[in-house]
Order: sequence, then structure tokens, then C-alpha cells
Amino acid sequence: MLLIPCPFCREDRSEEEFSCAGEAHIARPEKPAELSDHEWGDYLFMRTNPRGPHRELWVHTAGCRRYFNVLRDTVSYEVLVVYEVGQPPPDPPGGDES
Amino acid sequence: MSDGPGVVMRESGARGWWNLRGDGDEPRFRDGVAAVVGVSPPIEPCTWHAAGDRRAYWLGPDEWLLTAEHGTEFESPLRGALHGRCSIVDVSGAQILVNLSGAQAGEVLRKSSPYDFHPRRFPPGRCVQTNFAKATALVAANADASFDVVFRRSYADYLRGWIADAGREYGFLRGSLGTDHPTRRQRQPAQDDD
Repeated sequence: MLLIPCPFCREDRSEEEFSCAGEAHIARPEKPAELSDHEWGDYLFMRTNPRGPHRELWVHTAGCRRYFNVLRDTVSYEVLVVYEVGQPPPDPPGGDES
Repeated sequence: MSDGPGVVMRESGARGWWNLRGDGDEPRFRDGVAAVVGVSPPIEPCTWHAAGDRRAYWLGPDEWLLTAEHGTEFESPLRGALHGRCSIVDVSGAQILVNLSGAQAGEVLRKSSPYDFHPRRFPPGRCVQTNFAKATALVAANADASFDVVFRRSYADYLRGWIADAGREYGFLRGSLGTDHPTRRQRQPAQDDD
């Protein structure tokens, strides 16, 4: 069970209060109508799935119900950094493998 | 069990509840809420403010749960005082408040939730929204060492039963609160759970 620091509640809370909403920083295309099916499929479905630090969107479902970003190591499950949506993604320690 | 109940659950009667959203960093917002409600919205996360019967619980960085005696009107006065720069929704029909007191009330919370309800971490004035049994609830620590638990009405039967079951090993007593105050210590004829 992970303890995840919620940037809004400002305390470590149990993982079961949270839901993971997938990879962070997926920007919706500006003009979806001009994309090919392949490009649209990439936007909808294709994710980086790195081994190591991974930027994810989490929501504090049972708590303050706010979304925020988490830099989490997919090998050790360690939560490295927590930052608010809209803030620039931090550089993962030890280099980004994605 | 011979020394009386370790856990007493008292359920509040009908109260007014509102979900308020706005910019807590703005002094005009805080002053406007304080003027109408009589209690300022807490800015510190996971805390609540009270003035007499009225309370403001922190739900999020821009969201509060307000409660007051049944029949209170907040919606249009708040809209006026805040010049519409807020969202105020009457959620009176959706909330149930129960007060848990007794020496083992904290044990019932610890059985029910992953949150750390140790008094060092959860002193009076704190409130958290967290998992509670298989539902979610807002738990607030009162100055008299009792706890207020606020949950959705649709979960009420389930959570009443859960709390009664969790408290049974400590000796459980069910009472009721007055309709006008969430934690008034009034002596109501209380009956054993079963």
C-alpha cells in the first residue's frame, strides 16, 4: 500500500483514497478533425509505459477530489514527486527513460 | 462491558447543508462568507471552523461544506454578499451527521478507515474526507474528544449498521441529537442496539 502525499490536503494519504487516471501531459490535439485515424488512435490509446520514473495523473477520489500529477517509479512504486496540474513536469532523477 | 458503553452514536436531525465553492485567497470572499454564515471558511487544509451551531468544513482548496440549523437560508444572501462570485448548492437532503463519543470512538474510526486517526495526527479542529467502510465520509474531531461523521444519506443504513457492528465489542449505545445542534449533549432516552 502506497502513501501518496496529496498536494492539496498536504498530508500523506493511503493509496486506496486515490485513483490513477493514466499518463499525465497528454495534450488533446488542437484540430482533431484534421487528424488521420492513425494519429487520433495514437492520441487516444498509445502511452509510453516506461520502466522507471513515469508521470501520471492521479485524483484524490475519497478526499479532496482534486487531480494532480505524480512522478512515480514503475519499478519500485516509489512516489518521487507530486506536483499540480499545469506545473511543468519535473525532470526525473537519474534521467528519463521514456 | 460492565463500565457502560465504549461507543455512543448520536444522529443529528434535519440540518441545512451547503456546498460552497469560491476563491478562498480573496479577502472579499472570506469576509462575505463570514458575514452571512457567521463563520469564516478555513483556508488551512483539512480543518473546520465553528461558531455556535454553524460550521464550515474544508473540502478542497476552493470548496467548503457549510452547515447550520434547519430552515436557515444561505443561498441568496451568500450570492448577494459575494456578488455571484461563488457556487452555492443546497445539499441538505444528501447529508447525515452522526456524533461518535465514548472512550473507544477512535477505535471505531480506526477500524473503518485507512486514515491515521491518532490524536497526534487528528486533534480537535481537523476534518478529513476519507474512505469509511466501503463508502466515503467526512470525519471531524470535536473539542470534547468526540467525532462527527458526515456521510451521504444513501449510505446511511449501511454505515449506521457498520458503526453499530464495529462498536459492539466495546459496548455500543445509540442515542440521538437535538435537531438544532450537531453535538449537543442532551440526554435522550437511548436504547441498546440489539
